[in-house]
Amino acid sequence: MAEEYLRRDPATARRSSLSMRQYKAILRKDIVMELRTKEMVTSMGIYSLLTMVVYQIALSQSGSAFDPRDIAAGLLWLAFIFTSMLGLNRSLVHEKDQGCLEALLLSPIDRPIIFFAKATGNLVFLLIVETLTIPVFAFMFLQDGGYGGEWWMIPLVLLGGSIGVAGVGTLLATMSVNTTGKDFVLAVLMVPLMYPLLLMAVLATSAAILGGDGSVAQFWTGMAAVAGYDAVMLMAAFALYEFVVGA
Amino acid sequence: MGDTCPDIAVEVRELTRTFGVRKALDKVSFELPRGAFLSIFGPNGAGKTTLVRILTTLSIPSKGTAKICGLDVVEQADKLRSRIGLISHNPLLYPDLTAEENLLFFADMYGIDYPEERVRELLISVELDHRRLDPVRTFSRGMLQRLSIARALLHKPEMLFLDEPYSGLDPHAMDILDNLVAQIRHDHTFVMISHDLDKGLELCSHALILARGKVVLSEARADIDADAFKATYRSTVGMGVA
Amino acid sequence: MKQLKIAIVLVLIGGLLTTTAFFMAFYTAEVQSFGEVAFERPIETVFPSRGVSPEGLNLYGRPWFSQKIFYFHVPVAEASFLILLLSAIFAVRFLMTRRRDYDTKSRIAMETSLIFVVLTMITGVLWTKASWGVWWEWEPRLTTYFIMMLMMIAYFVLRNSIEDEERRAVYAAVFAILAAINAPISFMITRLIPSSHPVVFQSGMASSNLLPFIVGQVGMLMVGYAIYTMRMSEERLSERLAEAKEALED
Repeated sequence: MAEEYLRRDPATARRSSLSMRQYKAILRKDIVMELRTKEMVTSMGIYSLLTMVVYQIALSQSGSAFDPRDIAAGLLWLAFIFTSMLGLNRSLVHEKDQGCLEALLLSPIDRPIIFFAKATGNLVFLLIVETLTIPVFAFMFLQDGGYGGEWWMIPLVLLGGSIGVAGVGTLLATMSVNTTGKDFVLAVLMVPLMYPLLLMAVLATSAAILGGDGSVAQFWTGMAAVAGYDAVMLMAAFALYEFVVGA
Repeated sequence: MGDTCPDIAVEVRELTRTFGVRKALDKVSFELPRGAFLSIFGPNGAGKTTLVRILTTLSIPSKGTAKICGLDVVEQADKLRSRIGLISHNPLLYPDLTAEENLLFFADMYGIDYPEERVRELLISVELDHRRLDPVRTFSRGMLQRLSIARALLHKPEMLFLDEPYSGLDPHAMDILDNLVAQIRHDHTFVMISHDLDKGLELCSHALILARGKVVLSEARADIDADAFKATYRSTVGMGVA
Repeated sequence: MKQLKIAIVLVLIGGLLTTTAFFMAFYTAEVQSFGEVAFERPIETVFPSRGVSPEGLNLYGRPWFSQKIFYFHVPVAEASFLILLLSAIFAVRFLMTRRRDYDTKSRIAMETSLIFVVLTMITGVLWTKASWGVWWEWEPRLTTYFIMMLMMIAYFVLRNSIEDEERRAVYAAVFAILAAINAPISFMITRLIPSSHPVVFQSGMASSNLLPFIVGQVGMLMVGYAIYTMRMSEERLSERLAEAKEALED
């Protein structure tokens, strides 16, 4: 079937293999640069830990009857969203610094490829930080009390939520990096746009953590909403990216 | 990638770029034959960078057309990008990657066949082969500029744009740059922005002065008297920024 | 000039309609019942001979006066959504044509929508206080509007933080489109969470209720359009002033 496609229109086939090559190149570059400097993951990780400390302060007066599992989902996603904003900013600052984004735009690359590659890179880093944060959080706050749902629930909701955060976040960060007051502008833009996604991610995560009656239904309700949000917003971000990157 | 440029390499007609009240470019028109070297002069804010950005497809005009090598900068931007290269005063390189990695990355961007050989070949020609495994952030300004030239030449473009390439270079680095430009001079068409009047006049075959977005002077080098030119240039600098 | 006159006429008509709706809401619309409330002690009736029994008087359909604010709150809320949509449409046109006046229109529409969102919030808060006794509750619909307000504020923060005019317009347009897509998503998603917000669209409304509602809605949209137009003419004037200044400098 691939040969037929090639025979019919070799130019398009060449084009899509070039796009694939470009996508991989940008993704590989971002990962290599990150592995070398470890800048993003380190700063995101430390930021995450600091958030845990602040949580401890916030919960210190809550008393023994209070079960942190009730708000665990919310606390986790709060940490993730703020950490992600840090990471998103840094990933775009690299491009802007030496004018490298311009060099990318000079090359015959389809603008959306830049979006996909950057978003994938951001997604990977976000997932890494999330995977490291959860055990730490569980260790600090969820010592007693078990885990309510199936084992695959948490990874699934993490993936779904993070895809939305990375996708829309990449678009917004590409804008905010060109403003005065970069981190602030990113936060102001992201939080309202992410609100429905986060609400549903917390719903699903909470169902997974607490378990109990109706939790499976609640989990899937949340996941369906997350999937819906991701599909719609990612399509919009993809369509709008070339305007942002060309301005 | 086989066709060469038609005889008129650069064709700019009534190119205008405005947004609201500000007019960055106002009905700019000129032509440049293949193999020529155009130097663009003008005070700050004259629209030189805007013009080059439009010609290199980084920006779009509000009105008018521009064709590079017969390809329209808006309609056929994609095809055009494989035929042009830009050397800017920014090196446009990733500081944490090595010289080799940087060039290999851009080779992937341009879809170059046999990238490793091509990269090696270029590194040797800009005399940076011995530093190819060093991260770019350890390079001096002159070395950055040489690597930048290698980056620009990766995909064998016929049109080269230079945006104040000599700025910030010490004399030794300037010499190397001069040599490199001289080596590729006959095969390529150049458009250069320069604040250095003497240098620009020395290299060019055509000259253009822009001020406040308008063309003040557009002539072949042969028709220019150096002193009169300098006088005209100085009077435009006095016109100040828009 | 003519547009301005139309705008003034619309403001007057719209204001008149909204006020009429307001009065109709109190005087002619039937009072909605909030359900039955039982008294703690039976009432001693003064008219035993009339067949009015004490038991019958124990229950009393509590009139839902605070519901009246509904005739203002919902039209304002719907108008804000519609105007946000308008802003996004202008944003799309701008991105397609890069004409500056589309950007101006988009911005003014966003401003107008913000005014309406703030009004929605204020009436919403008043209603909350009247119905449940608290000034604020993090219930989904109020929160959605709060978020919408934050999105619009974010739009203006974004605009203010960019120097370059064209880039500012492009980024703002992109964000306006994202906001307009996000608003209905927020709205739908909050319906997934059971809430204490009165759901008024379940069954048909009594016609005496419907009329003031429609009158109010139309009136509100007119007011909205009028505000938009007046701001636009203000903007155009200041743009022409800036152009004249530029021309003088040359």
